[in-house]
Amino acid sequence: MFKKLYSKLMITPWTIWLGAMGIILLSGLVAGIFVFWKGLSLTNLTDLVPWGLWITIDLSSIALAAGAFSLCAAVHLMGLKRYEPIARTATFVGLIGYTMAMLALVLDIGRPDRFWKALVYWNTHSLLWEITIAIMLYTTVLVFESMPIFARFEWLRKHFPKIAAKMESIHHYAPILAIIGLGLSSMHQSSLGAAYGIIKGRPFWFKPEMSVLFMLSAIVGGISLTLFVSMLSSRLTSKAKTNDVLIERVSRFVGWLLIGYFYFRAWDALSMSYTYDPGRSEGLKLMTKGPLAFNFWIVEMLLGMIAPMILLLYTPTRMNRFWRMLALFLVAAGVVAFRWDINISGLLVVMPYVPGQAIAYTSYRPSLVEILTGSAIIAYGLTAFSLGVKYLRVVDHSLIEATHETVTEKDSEAVPA
Amino acid sequence: MNKKNINRRDFLKLTAVGAAVVAGTRAVTSTKASSTTPKGEHQWAMVIDQSKCIGCGYCTLACQAHNDINPDIQWNTVNEVGMVANKHVFLPRPCLHCEKAPCVEVCPVQATYYRDDGIVMMDYERCIGCRYCEIACPYQARSFNWEAFDGRNPVVPKWGQPEVERRPRGVVEKCTFCYQRIDRGLELGLQPGIDPDATPACVVICPVGARIFGDLNDPESNVSKTLQNNPSYRLRENLGTGPRVYYLPAVRDTVAEA
Repeated sequence: MFKKLYSKLMITPWTIWLGAMGIILLSGLVAGIFVFWKGLSLTNLTDLVPWGLWITIDLSSIALAAGAFSLCAAVHLMGLKRYEPIARTATFVGLIGYTMAMLALVLDIGRPDRFWKALVYWNTHSLLWEITIAIMLYTTVLVFESMPIFARFEWLRKHFPKIAAKMESIHHYAPILAIIGLGLSSMHQSSLGAAYGIIKGRPFWFKPEMSVLFMLSAIVGGISLTLFVSMLSSRLTSKAKTNDVLIERVSRFVGWLLIGYFYFRAWDALSMSYTYDPGRSEGLKLMTKGPLAFNFWIVEMLLGMIAPMILLLYTPTRMNRFWRMLALFLVAAGVVAFRWDINISGLLVVMPYVPGQAIAYTSYRPSLVEILTGSAIIAYGLTAFSLGVKYLRVVDHSLIEATHETVTEKDSEAVPA
Repeated sequence: MNKKNINRRDFLKLTAVGAAVVAGTRAVTSTKASSTTPKGEHQWAMVIDQSKCIGCGYCTLACQAHNDINPDIQWNTVNEVGMVANKHVFLPRPCLHCEKAPCVEVCPVQATYYRDDGIVMMDYERCIGCRYCEIACPYQARSFNWEAFDGRNPVVPKWGQPEVERRPRGVVEKCTFCYQRIDRGLELGLQPGIDPDATPACVVICPVGARIFGDLNDPESNVSKTLQNNPSYRLRENLGTGPRVYYLPAVRDTVAEA
C-alpha cells in the first residue's frame, strides 16, 4: 500500500514540473488575494500610467491565442483539412489564452465585482465595450470548439460515455464555429489596436495602422506559439505526436507572413521619424533610443522578425527542428515585446495641457504583486497546456476526426510523412 | 439622334446635381444630429481669468472640502505657468467638461456621460475601474481611487462641509462643476453663477474673483458677456474636444491693470 503510494510520489520530471508550477501559482494566489483585499494601491500603477504589466499579459495572451481563429478558418473554411491536428492544438491554446486574459482583467479593473456591467450598459461607441463583448462571445465559441478535445479525457469516456460522445459530436459544427470565430476575432483583435489608435490626446498612438499591426502580429505570433508548443511537447513527452511535415509547411507560411509584419512595423516606425510631431516623436525616441531601445531593436526587430524570417525561409534551417523551434519561439516573444513597447512608450510620454509647457516623462516598473500575479497567470497557462498534452492528447497529429456530417467534403489527401 | 444624346447628357447632369444636393443636405443634417451632447435649457461654463489668479490654491481646498475628496487626489489643480510683467502666472485646471469628451466616448459601461446642461458626470455605482478614461483624457482631469478614503478629511470644516458621498475604492472620479450646488440652487430658485449657494465652490471661494461661472445659453450671463468682450482660449483646442472652461490669458496690459 505504502509502496504503491510512494511509487506514485516518485520524483519524475513531470512531478518536478508540476511542483514548480504549483509554487508559482500559490505565490500568485496569495498576491492576488492581497490585491483584492488591499486594492490596486499595491501596484506601481499611477494616474499617469494606469495600464502596465497586467494589460501587457492580457494583450499578449489574446494575441498569442490568435492561432485558434486563423488556423480554424484555414482548416474548416479554406479547405486545408490536412492541418486539422494543428488547428486542434491551436484551439486549446486559444482557450487557455483567453482565460489567461480574463484572469489578468479581473485583477486589473478596480471593481471586479462589476465586470458584468458591460453586458447590461452598452456604450457601443467604446472600443473597450466591443472588445469585452467580443471576447466573452469568442471564449464561448472556443469552449464549444474545445468540447471534442475535452471528450478525449479517459476518465470521462469511461464513466460518462454518452456525455463524451455528445461533446465529441460538436465537432460537426466546426465550420460554423470557425465562421463565427473568424468574425469575432477579426473584430476584437484589431479593436485592441484601435483602443490605442483612437486616443487623440496621445499622438504616439493616434494612427489608424494600430489595428492592422495588432491583427497581423496576432496572427503571426499565434500560429508560431501553437507550432512551438507542439514541437516542444513532442520533444519532452511521448504523449505528444507531431507530423513534422505539417509543422514545417505552416512554418514556411509563418516565414512569409513575417515579411509582411516586418514591412508594416518598420514602415510604421520609419514614417513617424520623418517630421517632429509633439508627443509622437518623443514616444518614438523612447522606443528607439530610450529605455525601450533594446526591446525594440533586439527583441522585436532582430530576434522577433529578422532572425526567424531567415531561419524559417532558408530551407536547411527550417528543416532542422532545433532552428525551426527556436525561430517560432522568437516570433512569439517578439509579439509580446511589441505589446509592451506600444503600451509603455505611449504612457511614459506625458502630454502637457498647459500651452507651451515642455513634454514630460514618467516612469513605471511593475511592483512585486504585479510580477507574482502575472507569473502565476503565465504558470496557469503552462500547467493547463501540459495537462492537456498529458490527458487530452492535445498535441497528437495521428488523431483524425470523423468527417463533418453538416458539410459534404472531399477526403483529405494523404500527406507523406 | 444628336438631340437625344444631349437630352440624355442633360438628364445625367441633372441627376448628378440633384443627388449631390440631397447628399449635401443629408450630410449637414446628419453632422448636426450626431452632435453627441444633448442641448438642454442651460449650458454651464466657466471662465478663468489668468491675469487675476494669484495661485493661492483656495479653489483646490474648497473643492476638497465640498466634494469630500481624498487628500491624495485633486479635482482642481493649480499650475504655475510662467511670468508676465514680473508677476507669476497660474493656470488652475478643473474638469473641462468637454462638448466632445474623449472619456465619455471610451467608457465601456457609460459610467461617464453628458448631462443635458453639458456637465460631464460620473456614475460611481457603475464605474468598473478600467481606467480607459484616464488614458483618453487629454487634460489629466481624472483620478483613480487607488485606496479607500476612510479617515478624517483634513480640510473639513475649515474650507467647507462635504455635500456629496465619498467615492468607494476602485472607481475613477473627477470634478463635477459642483452639480449638487447647481441642482439644489435651481430648485430653490437661485441663479448659478450669481447666487453663491448655487455656484461651484471654487468660484465662490476665489478671493480675487478670477473665476466666473454661468450659462452660455443666456447672452446676458457673466460668462457670455466676458467671452464676448475679451480674447479667450481653451486648452488643447486642436483636439476638437470643445472644453467648457475658457481662459482669459494674462498679458502685460491686463496684469498691470489688476
